[in-house]
Amino acid sequence: MAASMRKPLAFLRRDFVASASYKFAFISQILGIFFSVLTFYFMSRLFGVAIVPYLAPYGGDYFSFVLTGVALASYLQVSLTTFSGSIRDAQVFGTLEALLVTQTEIPTVILCSSLYSFLMTSLRVIVFVVLGVLAFGMDLRNPNIVGALLILLLTIAAFSGLGIISASFVMVMKVGNPLNWIFSNLSWVLGGVFYPVAVLPDWLQKVAYLLPLTYSLEGMRLALLKGYGMWDLMPNLLPLAFFAVVVLPLSLWTFSYAVGKAKRDGSLTHY
Amino acid sequence: MGIAVEASHITKRYPQRQTLRDVFHLRGVKRVTVLEDVSFQVEMGQLFGLLGPNGAGKTTLIKIFCTLLLPDAGKAIVNGFDVSRDGKAVRKRVGYIISDERSFYWRLTGRQNLRFFAVLNNLTNSEAALRVAHLLCLTGMESHADKMFKDYSTGMRQRLAIARGLLTDPEILFLDEPTRSLDPIAASDTRAFIRDRLVGEAKRTVILATNNMQEAESLCERIAIVHRGRLKAYGTLREIYQAVNGTERYALRVSGAQQCCMNALARILPGGRIDIVPPGVPEQDGFALRISLHPGREDIADILAFLVSEGVRIQECSRDELSLDEVFSRIVD
Repeated sequence: MAASMRKPLAFLRRDFVASASYKFAFISQILGIFFSVLTFYFMSRLFGVAIVPYLAPYGGDYFSFVLTGVALASYLQVSLTTFSGSIRDAQVFGTLEALLVTQTEIPTVILCSSLYSFLMTSLRVIVFVVLGVLAFGMDLRNPNIVGALLILLLTIAAFSGLGIISASFVMVMKVGNPLNWIFSNLSWVLGGVFYPVAVLPDWLQKVAYLLPLTYSLEGMRLALLKGYGMWDLMPNLLPLAFFAVVVLPLSLWTFSYAVGKAKRDGSLTHY
Repeated sequence: MGIAVEASHITKRYPQRQTLRDVFHLRGVKRVTVLEDVSFQVEMGQLFGLLGPNGAGKTTLIKIFCTLLLPDAGKAIVNGFDVSRDGKAVRKRVGYIISDERSFYWRLTGRQNLRFFAVLNNLTNSEAALRVAHLLCLTGMESHADKMFKDYSTGMRQRLAIARGLLTDPEILFLDEPTRSLDPIAASDTRAFIRDRLVGEAKRTVILATNNMQEAESLCERIAIVHRGRLKAYGTLREIYQAVNGTERYALRVSGAQQCCMNALARILPGGRIDIVPPGVPEQDGFALRISLHPGREDIADILAFLVSEGVRIQECSRDELSLDEVFSRIVD
């Protein structure tokens, strides 16, 4: 096995064994996905064709629209919370020191600790989409899979940067994570998860286009539901790439600073 | 013999929690000193004790050497590497045996825990499997290896912590109160393991933090006594006894001594440094003496020769050591 995969796999194995040992929670997570899909299906029947003009750029079907939105927004949520969550868990459970005296650097520990959350989120999204298509008639006739994957990767990179900055806050301030709170709430309200950005007042639409989630959702819907080509996706790909290029290095610097401060203050394992 | 670990004028201060009033009044961060100008050296292959009451600064020192904390001033050197600049090189060479049972994953088995930490210490999967099997055997945990950590007794958890600290076969081991919470038999087994296997056979350098005087006395070749962040005494037990007491004490049982002989002895050792136990006039059939000498200036052999020349019969002569408890009390009081 490639040496570079050994540590990520060790973290995945650790988290899988721990999660699977809580059997009821494990099963209820899977059941939860089914009920979410069912909820969105009935919501789409309620709305019917009432908001079709707003949904026209995305194919006109609210169920497909909202399912794509919720699936992608779950990546936003996991990216924002998993890094800070893994730090916080290690502080609270008491494993952080044991991890930090190993020969694995802190950024590797943090990144690998988040893998299981991303993997589970991806599984949830796959189940979401498969259920949507097979059981509820989600419309995926001509998807641009490569474009969708590229948007997904850039989305994860941009959001992970924000998540690592959140982890830096947790490293220093322990609880109270302003960045996470602001981005999470603004993104859910303005990013276009449940409704298109076009329904917002003009001035709020301007704010919405400052958020990476807006570009992610729009690009993902256009790629999956309308089959837009790479060139047509550029207005969404370029801002996402910009967010990723700016935020990721900044987040790594911030995290390194936070660890140094915690080591100087002696608060590395405080919670 | 080389130097394994060196503390050079280490000072560490922790910021105190600020109140909202402090923040609004823009008061600077208050800091509490936990280590002040601490210096000592530990030679390769030595079993060194860091002794002090709770809150003395022992754990802070160990965390600095294991790269979990940075000193505010001074240097911490491990095998020639500065912990502030060469953290990665230091972590390759040290093993930190963390006694806190929360430092393990409770829903993983002992073996799964060790395999996980082995991979994080850059062992390949096959190396990890072999090393973990060896350490489970070494610490007597083979038969419990596949039980969840949460089902272990305190003693088993401690043994697993020792196994984890040895995963990389480190040259230098830091043990922070390894016998805390153990029953007397488990504590004795752990001490024997440290002394016989780690230091005796494997020739590892061990730095042991403890507040148990008997443990330090029975295990450690050299000791640093830390109190309220300051190094109060440092050296071999004998050096520390002498530094604290200033004298060496001997207990004698003699017979045939006359009062004039005792008076002569009192003139040689003035200042109440000779006691007759129980106090009183010497008796012909024998009595006990306690004599205090200044090492280097007075020699017990000269005193014994004087007594013999005066016709005194010496029945017993032994060094009367202060216990480390007494030494420690004198240092910290």
